[in-house]
This record gives sequence, structure tokens and C-alpha cells, in this order.
Amino acid sequence: MRRAPSWPRHAIMVVVSCLMLVPFYWVLKTSLTGENIYAYPPHIVPVDPHLFHYVDVWYLIPFPRYLLNSVIVTTMAICGNLLFNTVAGYALTKQFPGRRWVVLLFLSCMLIPFQATIIPAYLITSWLGVLNTYLGVALPLLSTIICIFIFKASFEAVPKSLIDAARVDGLSEWRIVVRIMLPLSKAAIATNVVLTFIWSWNAFLWPLIVIRTSEMQTLPLGLARFLSVMEDTTGALFAFVVMVLVPGLTIFLMAQKEFIRGLTSGATKG
Amino acid sequence: MTSWYQRKRTRELALVACFLAPALSIFFLYRLLPLGWNVLLSFQSWSPLKAATWIGVDHYEEMLLDDDVFWDALTNTLIFIGCSPIAIALALAIALLVNSDLRGAAIYRTIVFLSYPLMTVAVGIIWRWLYDERGGFFNYVMRSSGVIDQPVKFLQSFDWALPCVIAADFWQVLGFYMIILLTGLQSIPQHLYEAARVDGVPAGARFWRITLPLLRPSIFLCIVVGILNSFTSFDLVYVMTNGGPGHATELLITYIYKAGFGQSRFDYAAALTVVQFLLLVVLTMLANKLSGGNAGSLER
Repeated sequence: MRRAPSWPRHAIMVVVSCLMLVPFYWVLKTSLTGENIYAYPPHIVPVDPHLFHYVDVWYLIPFPRYLLNSVIVTTMAICGNLLFNTVAGYALTKQFPGRRWVVLLFLSCMLIPFQATIIPAYLITSWLGVLNTYLGVALPLLSTIICIFIFKASFEAVPKSLIDAARVDGLSEWRIVVRIMLPLSKAAIATNVVLTFIWSWNAFLWPLIVIRTSEMQTLPLGLARFLSVMEDTTGALFAFVVMVLVPGLTIFLMAQKEFIRGLTSGATKG
Repeated sequence: MTSWYQRKRTRELALVACFLAPALSIFFLYRLLPLGWNVLLSFQSWSPLKAATWIGVDHYEEMLLDDDVFWDALTNTLIFIGCSPIAIALALAIALLVNSDLRGAAIYRTIVFLSYPLMTVAVGIIWRWLYDERGGFFNYVMRSSGVIDQPVKFLQSFDWALPCVIAADFWQVLGFYMIILLTGLQSIPQHLYEAARVDGVPAGARFWRITLPLLRPSIFLCIVVGILNSFTSFDLVYVMTNGGPGHATELLITYIYKAGFGQSRFDYAAALTVVQFLLLVVLTMLANKLSGGNAGSLER
């Protein structure tokens, strides 16, 4: 059977890809350009390229401080997720009275978008006394329902005989999770880490509500603040954007498969 | 023997309870409790320094009868959601192109998906700059190709601001739609296509009769993502226009933020949130019905 030639499809996809990459290129070009960024017509290739704007970022804003705050919050979120989701996922592999209700509760919570709860969530956080703290920012991010179910599915795939053997050897339940379940669930762990990293690294609305002082701001808040103080007057803004995007993009490109797996399993199992 | 077994059973139950407790308490504190509290709050008059009093539906009355900004925000949110089928159709076209045995399909997929995991605040700043009337890409292209002779201030224009924000949102979310649709496409059994080809069914009919009906669950998911997107686009609007000019790009979520944290009217913001949540529920149910029933059912 004769197949349609593939070059028209390649041609379309090359055009689509170029269109999708234009915004990346334009901001990268602006951050590297040496001339006035408002010169018209703008040059397609940066004129007199140098890293002046990148150096400028370090003098204009407390970049290391923002970075530190972001790293602390993200680390807390990842640790919380790994601990709470694995134990919850393991508990769900067991039979116990009310199990159906717990599953139903998780599933219904999954349908409530966080954005629809911000007013009381703020009041609860203030009542807990953790406004303007790392814990306050990380608290709602400490567990992810999708990942609980990913861990549950992964644990259920572990052969029952292996667990029974471990139990005969006298391993406690906690040890079974740490020594047997987790080493056999590397894919689930990777998925959880990547999803949590991207979500907490990019989180904006919740930190905006919880954080009050500038020395507690995370990178997205720092970006928004920089924009409101300087407007688009300096190329340093775009250098800042590039510096903020690089970690997220690197992690994504390294663990693309896990990230997509997490998103689609959440989407199809939800 | 029985008592040993019972003791073991009790210990196991205690363990299950301990293991579930942290996750359950987080979701109780940050999902269920806020949802209920929010509904209560919307029927009360309350501020941080004042005791709560019941006022019935006063907030809703004010919102529906006297608040023009609410209607602007609602209209814009509906436009935002109403445009998502355009992005879904585009994503479907791309998914069909990269699904087949095209060489290098993985690279195209990565490029299209690359903008999804980006920080939305940064996306807003990038697109603000693309729309800029001096150094921006769009004005440059349109001016040098002769479409316009005067620079257009896209984001300061009442007519252009909302479409511009929606375009930026398309750029970010397109890849996610594509991934959902690709997963759906890959679950369609190949033998259906082969059988149709043997029977001499033309390509167009194969698409309408096989691909589209079997993709229904995935399309439903895309629509739900599109609805939820009108909530998560807070970041984008906040950075690009902050709801302006006037309230031309105000969404319900940005208005909730302004009412709650700008004017400290938490009770009124709670009433707005109830409306937004109802909108989400109604639209999702509607989409579910249109996509043919139980696509989003809770069976596992």
C-alpha cells in the first residue's frame, strides 16, 4: 500500500515548533543584547551580546535570598510528599473498615481546586500561626492525592510473596515500606519528586497571600515584585526570567517521561 | 490464638490510621474545611476585627444586582473558558500529526510541551514583552510587514487585552492538551483502523467515525482542564494586566483576590468563590453530559 509522503507533516511541525519557540528566543535575545532594548526596529540577533544584564540582576535584587526561599519551600514540599504519600499509599493497599470512604474522600478532594478555597485557607493558616513562614507556604503542598494513588498502584505491583517473606523474617511494617516497597518503586518516586518540584517551584497565588515580608519572598514573588518596581525598563528583568526558568526547564528535560506520566495518570485516573 | 490474631489486627488498624493521618489532615485542613467554611462565610457579615453575624443572601444580592465588576469578571471568565475549544482543536491537529510513525515526533512533542511546565509568572513577563509597543515581537512583525503603521499598545487596549492574555495562555497550555489527546489516541485499538481501511473507508470518515468518538473521554478531560485553567490563570493576568485596562481582563479569581486581600472583604470574596465553584461544577457536569455520560465517573 502506498503511504502519503511525510514531508508535508514535517513542514507543518517545523513551523509549529518555530512558533512555539519564538517567545523563548525573544526573551533570551533581549536578555543578552547590549544595545538599548527599546531601539526600533529590534534586531533579530542580539547586537553586541554580553552578560551585563545577568550581572545586574545580582545588584538590583536579593536573588540569592529568593533562590534560598524557593529551595527551602520546594525541599519541604518534596520531603513531605515522599513521606506522607508513601505511607498513605501503603495504608491504602491494606484492607480495613472504612477503606472505601477514605478512597472516596481522597477522590472528592481531588475535585476541589485549591484556588476555590483560598479565603478560608488563609484564615486557617493565620489561625495556625504560620503566616509568613516557610511552613505556611509549604503546608498545602505537603501531600498530593494523585501521587498517593500512584504509590498505591506501584506498591500493589510488588509480589505478595516478597512481603510475606519479609514479615516472616520479622521486619516491621515501617521497615517493609522503606526496605522493600520504596526500592521497588523508583518510577513512582521520580514522578512524585518531579511533579512536586514543578508545582511548588512555580506556585504564585498561595505564596502571594501567605508571605508578607520581602525577605521571605520566593522566586515567582520576586519576579512580580521586580516587575512592579522597575516596570519593563531594564533588560535585567529578562535576564532574571531566564535565570528563574533554567532550573525548572532542566528538571523537566531530565525527567520528561516521569512528569508526563504523573500528569496523565492523574488526568486519566481522576 | 484468637486473641493473638485480634491483637495483631488492632495493631494493623492503628498503623493504617497513623499512616493515613498526615495526608488526611492536610486535605481536611486545606480542601474540605475551607470549602464548607467558605459557604458559611458567604452568608455572614464578617471581618477580622468583627464578630460574624448572619445576613442571609445579602452578599449574593449585592453581587448580582449592584456589582458591575462581578459581571465583567464573570463574562471574561466565560470567554476564557469558551475559547479553550479552539486550543483543544489545535492541540488535536498537532497530536494527530505527531502520533503517527513520523520520524523525530518525540522532538516535536517535547518542543510543543516545553512551555507547559514553565513558571506562569515568567510566562506573563515574556508575553508582556512580546506585546510591547517598542521592543515587542508582534508590533515589529506587524509593522515591518505593513499590517499596521502605528505601534499598537495591545495590553492597554480594551479590545485587545483579553484576546492577548488568552493567546499567552494558549501557548502555555497547548502542550498539555496535546499530551492528554496523545494518550487517548494511543489507546485506540489499531485493528479498527485496519478494518476500516480494508473496507475502503476514506481517511476523513475514519477520523469522524473512529478517532473522534473514541477520543471523547480525552476531549472531556481537556475541557475540564480548560475550565480549571480559568482559575489557574490568576498568575498570568496578575502579571500581564492585573485585570486592566479598567476591568477588561478581570477574571473571577483575580476579583476574588482583590476583594479578599485588597479590600479585606473576606465575606464578599467568599460569596464570589461560591459562584466560581458552582460555575466549575455546572460546566463540568455539562461537559460530561455532552461527551456522552460517564467519562468522569469515580469508578476505579
